[in-house]
Order: sequence, then structure tokens, then C-alpha cells
Amino acid sequence: MSTIDVRVPDLGDAKNVSVIEVLVSVGATLAAEDPLLTLETEKATMDVPSPVGGKLTSLSVKKGDIVTSGTLIGTVERAATDAPSDPAPAPAPPDALDLVVLGAGPGGYTAAFRAADLGMKVTLIERWPMLGGVCLNVGCIPSKALLHAAKVIEEAESMAASGIEFGAPRIDHERLRAWKNRVVGKLVGGLASLAKQRKVDVVHGTATFTGPHSLEVHGADGTRRLDFKQCIIAAGSESVRLPGLPDDPRIIDSTGALEIPADCKRLLVVGGGIIGLEMACVYDALGARVSVVELSDTLMPGADRDLVRPLQKRIEKRYERILLNTRIATLEARSSGLLANFAGPTNPAPEEFDRVLVAVGRSANGNAIGAAQAGITVSARGIIAVDRQMRTNVPHIFAIGDIAGAPMLAHKATHEAKVAAEVAAGHKSAFDARCIPSVAYTDPEVAWVGLTEIEAKAGGIDYGKGTFPWAASGRSLAINRDEGFTKILFDKSTRRVLGGGIVGTNAGDLIAELGLAIEMGADAADIGLTIHAHPTLSETVGMSAEAFEGTLTDLYLPKR
Amino acid sequence: MTSPIDVFVPDIGGFKDVSVIDVLVTPGQQIEKETPLITIETEKAAMDVPAPLAGLVAEVRLKRGDKVSQGSLILRLADATAGEGAPPAPSVAATPAAAATGSAPAAATAALGTPSAPTPAATAARAAPVAAPAVMAVDAAAFSKAHASPSIRKFARELGANLGAVVGTGPKGRITIEDVKAHVKRILTSPPTPAAPAIPTVPAVDFAKFGPVEVRPLLRIQKISGARLQASWMNLPHVTQHDAADITALDALRAELKAEAAQQGVRLTPLAFIVRACARALQEFPAFNSSLDAGGDNLVLKQYINIGFAADTPKGLVVPVIRAADRGSVYDIARALGTLSEKARAGKLTATEMQGGTFTISSLGGIGGTSFTPIINAPEVAILGVSRSSHQPVFDNGRFVPRLMLPLSLSYDHRVIDGAAAARFVVHLAKLLGEPRNLL
Repeated sequence: MSTIDVRVPDLGDAKNVSVIEVLVSVGATLAAEDPLLTLETEKATMDVPSPVGGKLTSLSVKKGDIVTSGTLIGTVERAATDAPSDPAPAPAPPDALDLVVLGAGPGGYTAAFRAADLGMKVTLIERWPMLGGVCLNVGCIPSKALLHAAKVIEEAESMAASGIEFGAPRIDHERLRAWKNRVVGKLVGGLASLAKQRKVDVVHGTATFTGPHSLEVHGADGTRRLDFKQCIIAAGSESVRLPGLPDDPRIIDSTGALEIPADCKRLLVVGGGIIGLEMACVYDALGARVSVVELSDTLMPGADRDLVRPLQKRIEKRYERILLNTRIATLEARSSGLLANFAGPTNPAPEEFDRVLVAVGRSANGNAIGAAQAGITVSARGIIAVDRQMRTNVPHIFAIGDIAGAPMLAHKATHEAKVAAEVAAGHKSAFDARCIPSVAYTDPEVAWVGLTEIEAKAGGIDYGKGTFPWAASGRSLAINRDEGFTKILFDKSTRRVLGGGIVGTNAGDLIAELGLAIEMGADAADIGLTIHAHPTLSETVGMSAEAFEGTLTDLYLPKR
Repeated sequence: MTSPIDVFVPDIGGFKDVSVIDVLVTPGQQIEKETPLITIETEKAAMDVPAPLAGLVAEVRLKRGDKVSQGSLILRLADATAGEGAPPAPSVAATPAAAATGSAPAAATAALGTPSAPTPAATAARAAPVAAPAVMAVDAAAFSKAHASPSIRKFARELGANLGAVVGTGPKGRITIEDVKAHVKRILTSPPTPAAPAIPTVPAVDFAKFGPVEVRPLLRIQKISGARLQASWMNLPHVTQHDAADITALDALRAELKAEAAQQGVRLTPLAFIVRACARALQEFPAFNSSLDAGGDNLVLKQYINIGFAADTPKGLVVPVIRAADRGSVYDIARALGTLSEKARAGKLTATEMQGGTFTISSLGGIGGTSFTPIINAPEVAILGVSRSSHQPVFDNGRFVPRLMLPLSLSYDHRVIDGAAAARFVVHLAKLLGEPRNLL
């Protein structure tokens, strides 16, 4: 026997309709479908039937009241014999929260803050004690702090050949770790105060959908139920684990790698993608001997080969080994280390490592939030499909960021977050960005945006190309580096920028100009005729455009 | 001597690509300020473009028939005498962008559809996105290719404007905020343009909810003719003129000739006489035997009279055509009618037998009815509907006499045919049918 709330059903567009008759009184015994009220809308009068059979234990409306979808009519004590029925999706109760955002990573907190700025009452749910998600806590930000440390070490070292010798660095891992944590702490603390200033209600706990308009949050202080009118899912992704590996604390993912254990003299990175290569860069600079094993035939799959080549040449010299087309056959945990057996065309000999970093990708968390209870469709890989307005198949529930699919990048999540928040607030926004930049903060950095040559060739797109090698850039030589280059791909007929790639110091910052160029529909002349300051690395972008235009004087390019 | 000055088409109220119907000046001509230079024809009216200042016409840069918009170059004035009050050159050669800015606030207001005075079009345009929030009525593919910056794309989404249909006037064809406003303004102020938005659809109903149903596909001919009928009904402004012809004499003549016709192996139906009478009337009124050309600017008058007649067959409605219905005898027409009807019923009509019609008759006389409004077999411009004849009291010479009256319903394309002409046509047709011997 249970008591259920009976509410005014979905009235479509009709709002604030009058109760012209109450057909039951408290204590009445009802059968399912017995009429409870008569309402009068603009078009007609209609009876509201009881969804279940039972005894009416309370009545909250009277004749003449104005009601709307979701208004409580009364409570019915369900008859014991009444079969549990599955009522049609009920509207949200009138006292439900405007907007609940699930997950406080870059996507989640951006969505929450934008929605709050647009006047919505927002509740932000986060399962960890700290806001900021993977990006701030165990991703982009701490890794960049460590990469900065790595860069300082390497630049100091490289100046030895030019007459400035610092000697070998003395590295205090504990202080380095503390400094990294302080960087993270500053940003995370900032987020908490930003939430407070916007009156965004932060709830800590793990959330699970219990219906299309309700969630349950399991937190340290118990379980609570939240009713919502709209919801934005920003529950992110997690590192993929490799099956068949032993359970050993020396096998780490990117989060573990950020703890920079001092006793790691020899590191194996499994996965030659961006995350693996960035951490390889840190450990190399901190003095570990690094090996990288990659299943495919190339490092950083997805990036154009020519962009990866300068990085590959550099790390081939510095790292112990780079094994392509190779996988780990077995990994054996020994007291002295982890013994890796490889399977690949070169039949590499087994090697023992102090740590093994598994960085083989991330999988979306779509299957961890009870999405089915809300009727949301989730793919087998945990991804929730959305439309251009970031709506899931349940129109009042949105999904953004990693959980909405690749590319899993914080800057994609924040952009989607604003779209979702604006649509939830009734604005006519949609995701129509034309490009999303990708950056590997390795040394040298690799960055690309828009069309790649790989995509152009696969899609049969005819394109023109302007390239500028940094060996001809005074600034690049002055910072003691010459391996970088900049290239821009153009539409041959409109001469507009289709995409571009940069490899070299600060490539991740330089790529911004090309992203803007694509969004603005700039053509080669627009970029070439924009005065770039001299001597900067940004000049190389202008010069690549000039190379395509045929107006470049810093190189001699024979007439085509 | 001052430097040559370019004279451009001034603000013409947002019209684009209007025709130059006359060029009123020639090179070498000395003109005064306010001398008309060209005549252009907008949707609403023809207007002259006057000279902004006096001078010698050095070069005329457009010709009759050209399409121009605000900012198009008309001519080049050499030796522009800075006559009294002559404006300085920059304002003469006002760029379209600068001139457009002046009307921007008005455009913005119209585009956003101020709630105080919603025009029907504005309401419709605004209602759509609200009714379907999940799917914005925007062509995503065209949107993603439009030469417009992110801020313009955002603005266009807010207004529900389809960027793929907006013509950019900025540098290198870039779409500016003014272009989006002008586009929305144009859509709101001129709803019945040829590229009008799709008509609202009839909502789908789940009939099975209310009782058992059977689903049967439309006949192939129904599908084909359905689209053509709808195209005609929506594109042609139809008017139907009703009248009745006295066919008492015709009926008597038909009875008289029955035996003779049978000898010749033909059945002399009333329709044969109606076809012949229509052919005569079409000779008299050639506009009814015409079509508008594709551009809608010219009338194509056909020097042949081929009359189609609607034939009801088991497979659907078809319209076989009687060629040269103005030649030969009524027996020839009757014979052609018989042959074509037979073939139609058997489904053996060839494509050529259903082509080339210039006028159509739809006769329901054998079934019943007093009048109806037939749909024109476009691109023809008129169709005659014939209902069932009946004896009616007709007041004649001070008394009522019973006459056999045939109801006629002529639908015509009002773009081509005036009401008076239609009335005259039907009166003339009735007169022809009243004197049947002349039709033999």
C-alpha cells in the first residue's frame, strides 16, 4: 500500500486553467480513471481522471482555483490490489528546480554559471569534494604546471651549448607536487566563490536519475531527491583501463601520473596519443628514461604526419624507445618492477619498468547515471547523442562535453555548455562553431584546427597549402629552436582558410589566429595583409598565407 | 574640369534586381540636375532615376533590360558642373552599406516583430520556432557554409533567418548584420513572393484511434494529377463564371441527325457540339487559347485549337486531346471523341494523345449537378465545366416556356483574362450552342 501524489496532467499549451467542478471529496474510494476534477481551458472543458484506484486521503484544490500542468490535486492511498501502473510521463512538479547541472567540470560549471546569469535557479551536483572536474583537478591544469617545470629544465639544459651552464637540476618531487597542487587549489577555490556569487546551489554527491524529472543524490550526508524542470548532463569521462593487466599500484593512469613519484626511473607509456606524450615529456624532463608503445603505426593519430614528425624526431633522440605497431602482450608484476612483454613487428625484447602509464583513451560516463530511468538513450560506449541545441532524445534534458562524444576537450565542453544553458533559458542558440582546435602540449607543441590534410585527402577535397618553416624565423632561431613550421590549408577557389597546423614552441597559442580566421571566413590575403609583429612566432602564420599568395619575400619559392 | 563622377542607383526602398525598362540619356549628352536618367520597374511601380547633378554624360554603364539594385553604377559624368546646390561627390557615390545604415533601426524593429502590431506574416514567422523548439527551421547545411562570422550566425539564429538564403553585401560577399535584417524585413513585408515559405500542412491524425481503418495507396494517375492540380490551384488565381445555354434546338437537331450519324458510324453526343462551339468561341477570343510564358511576362497565343476533355477511367482521370477542333465537321469531332474515349477506358492512350491541349472541357453532364468550379489544366488559362442539362421555365414573349438548359461553368486564370471577357466568352458560347446548325 502506498500513497501517491495526483497532479494535473500535461495540458499542452494551456496554462492557468480554472477548476470549474471538483467531483470527489476526501475519503472517497476511487477506481482508476474516475474523474476527479473538471477543468475549463480556452478550447473546451475536460475531466481529469484519477491515474490509480484507491482512497482519496487529501484534496488540495477547490472549485474556482486556477491550476496548471503539475499542480497537486491531492493524494491517493493506493488500493492494495491495484496493479502498479506506469503512468504517462508526468510533468515536473511546480516546485521543481529550474535547472540541475550534473557534473562540475569545465562544461558543468560553465553551464551552471551561464544559466544563473540568464536568471535561472541552478543546482550544480558534483561527486567529488572539489569543483572543476578532471580538467582542473587531474587533467589540463596540473599537467600544464608540470609541463612548465619540464620546459624550464630543458631550456636551462639547452643553453649549456650556448655558454650558460646551470649544471644538473636538483629536483624535490615533494615541493614540485605541492606547487602543482597550489596551482590547482587557486583555480578550484576561485570556482567555489564564483558559484557562491551567482547563488548557484552546489550539492556534493553521486547522482542517479529516478525519472524524467527527478534525480537521487547520494552524498556524505545521506540521500536526497531533487525534482527538476530541465537538466544538463555534464558527467564527463574516465580513463579507459586495459583488460588483463595485473592489479598493481605501479600501473597508473593520467591521474596517478600527475603524482610524479620520485622513484620512477623508468617509465613505459602505453598509448602514443596526446595525453601519453605529454606525460612522457614531463617524466623525461624529470630524469626518467621513457619508452612509448603505440598500437597504430603513428604517434598522435589524427594529426597530420608532417606536424608530428618534428616532435617524433626530438623524442626519438631523447627517449629510450618508441615502439609503433606494437602492443603489450603481458605485463608481469615483480618486486623489482613491471616486466612488459611486447608483441609487434620488431619483436622487442621484454623490459622492466618502475611504472606503466596507461593512456589509451577515455570513455564517456553515460552508463553511470541511471540515464534509462529518465528515458535517455545512451550508446554502448557511454555516449549520449544530442542535437545542435545539445538536447538529448528527452528534450528537456541536455548533454554536453565528453559525455556527448568526441572530441573530448574542455574547450568544446565549455562552448557546448553555453549553448545548452542558453537553450534551457529559452534562447535560440545552437552549436554552429566551424572548428575546434586540438593542442598537444608536448615539446615541441603540436596544434591544429579545422581541416587536416588527412581529412582533405579522405574527403577528396581540393585544397591549396601555404607553409612556412621556422628555420627561416628569426624569433624561432633566437629561442634556440628551428624544427617548427606553420602550414595553412586554403580553398583554391574562394582562397578562404579551411584549416591549419603548427608545430613548434607555443603552437597551442599560435593556433588561435587560424581558428578565428576560419570562423570569420578570412582568406589568404586577409591574413597575409594583416601586419604581424616582428620578430614573433605569430609572423609565421602571416608568412604561410603569403607563401600561398605568392607575396612572401622571406623565402625564395620558385614560381608555380 | 572636375574629375569624372560615378552616378549610382539611389535607395529604391530595398528592392533588389529591378529591371531597367528604359535608358533616357546617351553618351555625349549634356544633362541638368534632376534630368531623368533611367526608368526602372519595381514590383509596385515604374520610377525614373534623376541625375543628382548636372554634367556631360561620358559613359552609360547599363542598358535596357539590365537588373539593378541600390548602388549599381548607372553612368559616368565627365565635366560635372558643380551647379548650384550640387552635392559633393562622396554623397553621390554613397556606398550601399552607408546608405543602408540609415534604415537600419526601422529594419531591426520590423525584423524583431514588435508585439504591438504583429502582421499576420510576422506572427507566422515568429510562431514557428516557438512551436518547435527542438528543431529550428534553419537549413543547417546552407547555414554552415554561409560567409558570416559567429556573431552574425548567432544573430541570424535569434531571428530564425536562414543564412543560406541571405545575400551578403559586405567585403567579398560577407553577410553583414544589415543583410540579415534586410532579409528578414523583406520576408516579413512581402509574404507572397514566388519563393514563399511552404504552406502550413494539415495536421496528421491517427484515424485508427477512432475505429478500424484500411489504408489504400493512391492510384498512380491520382498521384501525378494530384500534384499538377495542386500546382494549378495554388499558382493560378482562379475565377469561375457560371451561365446556362439553351440547347433545346441542339437536342432536337441531334435527334434529327441520329440516323445519319449512325450510318457514318458515329454517336453524335452533346459533347461533340460543345467541343465545336468552344473551338469557335476560342477563335473569337484568342486570349482563352493562350498561356503565360515561363517568366510570366508574355502571353503565348496559340494559332491552333486543341481541346482536351476530361475522361473518367478505372485508373483515374485522364485528359485526351482533340486536335484542330476548329476544322472538319462535327461528325469528325464526334468520331475523335469516340475513339479517344475508348482508348482512355482501355488505358491505351499514347502520350502524344494527351499533349498539346490549349483548352479543356470537363463534362459531368452525364452524371448530374447544377454547377461546379473546375480547376484549370495549367498552363492553359481556361477550362469549361459542363453540368447536367434540365428543362427550365424560360420567360419568353410574355410567358414561360420550357427550354432545355445546359449549365456552363468557366474557370479562368484571372492574370490573363478579365471578368468581363470571361462573361462575354460564356455568353458567346451559349449563343453558339443555341444555333446548332451553324456548328455542323
